[in-house]
Formats: sequence, structure tokens, C-alpha cells
Amino acid sequence: MSAIIEIKNVSKEFKVLNRREGLKGSLKDLFSRDYKTVKAVDNISMSIQQGEIVGYLGPNGAGKSTTIKMMTGVLEPTSGEILVGGNIPYQNRTKNAQEIGVVFGQRSQLWWALPLVESFKILKDIYQIPNEKYEGILKLYRSLVDIDPLLHKPVRQMSLGQRTLSDILAAFLHDPKIVFLDEPTIGLDVAMKSRIRTLIHALNKERNTTVILTTHDMGDVDALCKRIVIIDKGKMLYDNDIDHLKSFFGSYRTLKIRIDGELKEQATLIQKELPQFSVSANDEWISVLVDEEKAKVIEVLGKLQHSYNVKDMQLEEISTEDVIKKIYEEGVQ
Amino acid sequence: MKLKKYLTLTRAGIIEALQFRLSFLVMVIGNLLYLIVVYFLWKAIYASAGTDVVNGMSFTDTLIYLVLATALFNFMEMYTVWEIGRNIQSGKIVLDLLKPMEYRKYLFWSYSGSFVTQFFLTFLPTFIAVAIVTHGAIPLGVNLIYFVLSVVMAVSINYSIDFLVGTICLYTESIWGINIMKQVIVLLLSGATIPIAFFPEPLKTIVHYLPFQSIYNAPLSLLLDGNPATETVLSTLGTQLIWCIIMMVISKLFWKFSLRQITVNGG
Amino acid sequence: MKRKGLRFYAKIYCKILAQDLKSKMSYRADFIISTIGMIFTNIAGFISFWILFRNFPSINGWGYYEMLFLYGFSLVSLTPVQCFFDNNWSLRQHVYTGDFIKYCFRPINTFFYYQSEIFDIKGLGQLAFGLITLIYSWIKIGLGFTPLMLLKMIVFLITASLIMIALQNAAAATCFWIQNSFYVLDLAYRFRDYAKYPITIFSPVFRFIFTFLMPIAFIAYYPSLVILRPDKVPLLSWLSPIIGIAFFWLSYKIWMHGAKNYSGTGS
Repeated sequence: MSAIIEIKNVSKEFKVLNRREGLKGSLKDLFSRDYKTVKAVDNISMSIQQGEIVGYLGPNGAGKSTTIKMMTGVLEPTSGEILVGGNIPYQNRTKNAQEIGVVFGQRSQLWWALPLVESFKILKDIYQIPNEKYEGILKLYRSLVDIDPLLHKPVRQMSLGQRTLSDILAAFLHDPKIVFLDEPTIGLDVAMKSRIRTLIHALNKERNTTVILTTHDMGDVDALCKRIVIIDKGKMLYDNDIDHLKSFFGSYRTLKIRIDGELKEQATLIQKELPQFSVSANDEWISVLVDEEKAKVIEVLGKLQHSYNVKDMQLEEISTEDVIKKIYEEGVQ
Repeated sequence: MKLKKYLTLTRAGIIEALQFRLSFLVMVIGNLLYLIVVYFLWKAIYASAGTDVVNGMSFTDTLIYLVLATALFNFMEMYTVWEIGRNIQSGKIVLDLLKPMEYRKYLFWSYSGSFVTQFFLTFLPTFIAVAIVTHGAIPLGVNLIYFVLSVVMAVSINYSIDFLVGTICLYTESIWGINIMKQVIVLLLSGATIPIAFFPEPLKTIVHYLPFQSIYNAPLSLLLDGNPATETVLSTLGTQLIWCIIMMVISKLFWKFSLRQITVNGG
Repeated sequence: MKRKGLRFYAKIYCKILAQDLKSKMSYRADFIISTIGMIFTNIAGFISFWILFRNFPSINGWGYYEMLFLYGFSLVSLTPVQCFFDNNWSLRQHVYTGDFIKYCFRPINTFFYYQSEIFDIKGLGQLAFGLITLIYSWIKIGLGFTPLMLLKMIVFLITASLIMIALQNAAAATCFWIQNSFYVLDLAYRFRDYAKYPITIFSPVFRFIFTFLMPIAFIAYYPSLVILRPDKVPLLSWLSPIIGIAFFWLSYKIWMHGAKNYSGTGS
């Protein structure tokens, strides 16, 4: 199967104005300005298959939005090649737009004053969706979520969750090959987040739609993505299965114990006893980060129980969030 | 010091305004174009009239009057109605109300920075340009002091009216409609578009009893009169002062009343 | 995929328009206040006009009714820009907040999609006012009536509209490059006030500027000559439809170029 998105050595540069500070600076800016070039995206390559859900992650300002704008044809790359469904997006923007759907978590693309169903009808005309196909997708929507109460409500009267849900439904309406979701669950409560994730998952299964998901919420990543791409300061840091990443760090587990006495002092003693692992303490727990390739957690626990009166214990897996934090901080060796 | 906290807002306003150098260029071009149009239009009008003086005003008088009226308008326009309206709709007003300053004052001083920039970048150049073009037809004497005094009161009256109209935005979402009505009424009845001297008699009388003529007509008449009678000066400035106080009280009371109304109803 | 021709766009526009009108009706108060504001603007404009001509019977050989004709002509020709292109006024905010990006993801023309979002119904009041003025002055001048005149009238009204739309598009598009483009748009808006005067009042230099550099003279003067002074129509009047189309096309290109260059300030 050939890739639906093919990105080769893509870079994007922006010119940014240096503003001077203070009253004097503003006066100077009136007459002279200096610009600097910023590389928002720096030599990125990846290839994405039809039907994949890819988590596109990175801290704020990493270049995620810029990449997505280039894939949607809004921005032209400074250098490199992008092919989306065989098209060069910025050269065939409208043709490309027919094949994609886009959702921005914070800004609705629906007509603010119109009931959802009227927005759908306008989209049906804009994307030239045939009647049977339109009815079919509405039927699918009905089977996935309870949309009837939403259909006749103007978008401006919806809650943020309902609006996001509507925006996602609108993005899938014309059965696009690819859907870009930019922080779809931002600002939503736990129940709504879970509903949105289930919906995205179901739509991906049902239509075999490729989904590119940018998010800061690791819950989204864990629930939806098999593959993640991490980017920071415009450079690609990681592109592989999420399981691979976890197994890479997966040998680490955190053992937490509670014992008598001043925990900080005890922790220093334990550190002496277990020099190969890092030991830390807070008000409640002493934590030992155990590398299971060196010693099993049970063995460590047994050793500790031998010399201390362990009253309580907890075992923590390393979370995706920790993993990504580690990658931002240290990179993948 | 008390004044300092106000001046900080003034300074921030100047910095903000200077960020937009192209806007200034455009504004200067816009004003220049306006001057050109007014100049030629009235020249043609007076040329067709056959007499040099119409309704007690010569071509030069009319030109100075209209050009400076526009300069005054640019100087005094604070977009207060828009600002209040937008703050209400976005909910930012709640934050502004929490500031340790009366909202009416806060808004005024936030904008005061552009008084300074507007004065130097538009009003003063226009004034000088007009003085040169009309070969010193603007009398330069004690009338300048009256003019400055009069403008200060005009600014106050104008702001009170703006704030009063802006307060209406607490009741309706229609900022555009409210603002355009205010602007049209103020500009016409204050004599900013056509000098009040040209108005037909009954209209002149009505306008005389309204606050609007104190905004443009009063300062400009004082400026153009090189040798004013003490009586005229006192009555003009006195009328302005009375309107100044009346409008300030009304706008303050209306704001207080409306705010209570809104907080009680939880709007 | 089918080719997206004029019919496709017309169908979509009608659909959005119908929906938009339906939802506007749900904001009754806003609609009424805005309409009153619009009527106020027109009445005030008319009053200024009337006061002026009470004092001066003619300007540069143009009589009261001829000037009124120009006035009505400019009002009618400004209706399309008011009704169909009003969203240009929000372009600045959309670009500034980064919201503009959402107009770039649809498989239809970005310019069309953006402008289709708003239909400003207030413009219809202006149209009615302009038409009445136009017909009244037409009768008073005693121009007579032939179908050919009507055809000319329609063609040249459309021409004038295109010029004004072009000016506004280009002015609005400046926001893609400069930060506070409000002044540019405001300047273009003020042009409409200058449009209603005959260009012969200006000196040759400014006649050239207002004809070729800032084509204000095409908004009312040149097109209306065809009806008003049919015996001495300058070549420029006959050329104005072509010039109108050219200017519109050019402004569209500028707008689209800006949209394409737009890098999205919001991340």
C-alpha cells in the first residue's frame, strides 16, 4: 500500500520582526526595523499510510501547526516536498481540500448562527456530496452519537463539548481521506473527552480515515494512537510505534514505599544501600526508580523489607507523559 | 503619587500607538486628501456664489473652520462606544471593574496617550498647514488661550456623551447601530460638517439649546474671532462649562444606575 | 469532481444568504437599531446637502438637482459593497487572531467563501434612499426616459459599484501585511463621501489623481455624465465599465495574494 502522506526534507522559514523595548525603542521602530529568520520546521520527513492514526506531539511552538498548514496547502514549504493523496497541497489547494477535513479545538468552522443541520447542508453543497452518501453518513453518525438534539441547535448556543463534537462530525461529513485534529479535547471535561475519543476511533475504523492528531493530552494519545511523531524546535525527535517507545523506557518502574521515621533521612540511607538506582522522597513516599534489567522490583522490595518496616507500597508504570518528557529533555539515544 | 498611575497609562498608550507607523502614514495621507477635497469644494462653492462673504463667513473662515473641525474630531475620537461595547460583549468589563480605579476614569486615561500623539501628529501639523495656506488668517492672540480652554471642555463634553452612549451597550448588542446614530447626530448638530452659521434660523435656535454645539462650534468660533467681546467669550465658555457639568453628572448617574440594574439582574 | 462554475457558487451563495437572513431575524433588536442608524446616516447626509444648497444655489455650473442626482447615484452604487462585502471590515480581526485560517480549508474559492459569510441587510435601506433621490432628481431635471437610458444607467451603476468594491477589497487586504489596517479601510470608506462631487471642481493635478491613482471620480461622476450630460460625454465615461472590471480583478488578485501569503499569526 502506498503512503497517503509523503513528506520529504521539508523546511519552513519565517521572517520575524525584532521589536525594541520601551518608549525609545518604539520610536526607533518607527524608522528602522530589523528582521530575523526563524526556522519553524527544519528538515522533516515522514510517510503516513491510509487508515493510520498518528499522534503529532511537541511542546508549544514546536512547529506542529506549521507542518499541518503545509499539509493542508495553506502554507508553501520553503524547501522539500509534500505529497498528500498524490497532490502537492499548496499547488492544488482546493483539490486537496476536497480530500481532507480539519478541526481546530478552539475555533469552530461552522456557521455561528445556524443550526448544525443547516451547516451540514451548506457543506453538502460545498463538497458536492451526493444525496445517498449524505444520508448514509448521517445514519452512521446516528449510530455513533446521539446527534438529533444537536442538529437543530444553533452552534453559538452549544457547549464547548457539543461544538467540538459537531466540528468533528462536520470534518468527516464529506468522507475525506485524511482528517487533521488540532487539540480536539482541549478544555473538555473527562466524560466529554472520552466520548470524543470513542467517536474519533469509531470513525477511523468505519471509514478507514487517516487521522493526524496534535494534542497535549496524553490521554488522547494513549486512547487513539499507535504511532507517534515528536517534534521540538522544528526538528523531528521521534517517529515510531508508541509501544516501541514504551518498551524503550518500559524497563523502568517506580517502587514507592512508606516506612517509619523521617523520610528524607531514610531515603539517603536507602540510596546508600541501592547505589545503582535513584531514590527520592516526598512527604508521603520514598520512591525508587528501578531498572528491571538490573534487578527485579520484587527483589528490591524483599531487600528493603528485610531492613525496614515497610507499612505500605505502590508500583507505578512509567506513563507516556513521562516518556515524552524524557524525550524532550534528553532525546532518544 | 496619584497622578503617576494615570501617566503610566498615558505612556503605554503612546508606545502602543507608535507600533503602527504605517497607520500614521495612511492617516496623514487621509487627512491630506480630506483637506484637498474640502479646499477645492468650498473654493468652487464660493466662486459660484458671487459674493465673498456668506452668512458672515468668508472662504478662508469656512476653510479654517472645517479643517480644524476635522482635526478636532480626530483628536477627540476615542472610540469609547466601541471599546465599552466590546468589553461588555467579551466579558472583559468584569476585569476592568475590578481595577482600583473608576471605570469611567480608567477608560479615559487608557486612551489619553493618543491625545498626545494625535495632537503632535495630526492637530498641530494641520493647524500650521492651515495657518500657512491661508496666509496667517488665523488670528494669533488672546483667542488662542480661550480656544485651548474651550477644547479642554469640549473633550470632556464629548467624552461624557460617548460614555453615556456606550453605557447603552449594557442593554443592547447593537454597538454599530448605537455608535453610528451618535456619530451622525454629534457631527451634524455640533457644526462639524457644516458651520452652524449656515444653518436655517429655526434649526440654529434648536441647536443653540443642545450640548453638541459646545463641542466643535464653540472652540472654533472663539479661535476665529481675533478681537472677541468679553461678553461673547464669557457666554460661550459659560455655556460650555454648564454642559460639561450636566453631561458629566448624567453620564455618571446613568452608568451607576445601569450597573446596579445589571448586577441585580445578573445580566 | 465536477467543475465549480458560476452556477455552483450562485447556488451556495443563495443557500448561505437564506440561512443568514433567517438567523438575522432572531436578533430583532439589533436589526431594528442598525436600520434606524442607517436611516439616520442618510437623513443627516441629506440635511447637510440641503443646508449647503440653501446658501449656494449652484456649484461650478452644477445645479441643485444635478448635485442631488450625483448624490443619489453614489448612494445606489455603494449598496453592493455595503451588502455583499461587509465582512471585509472583520478581516483585520480574523487575521490578527489567526481565525482567518479556517477559511482556507474548504475546497472553494477563499475570497468567495469569506465574503459569503455576511450579507448586510442594512444596505437595502440605503438603496431605497438612493433610488428615491435618483428618481426624484431625474424627474426634476426633466431628463426624459428611454429604455436605452435605463440600460445605460444599470451598466454604469454596476461600473461604479465595482470601483468601490475594488477600493474596499484592496484596502481590507492590506491587513495581510500591516498590523493596524483599520485606518486604510477607513480611508477607503471616506472616499465615498468625496465621490459625490463633480471632479471639475478640482485643479488639473488632482483631477488626474482622482481619476487614475485613486479612482474616486468613477464612483459617481464619470458614469453619471452619460445620463446627466449626454451631449458631452468624455471618453473616460465610456471606458469606465472596462476600468471598473479591471480594478475589481486587480483588487481580487491582491486580496487572494494576501490570503496566500498569510502565514497565520496564531499557532
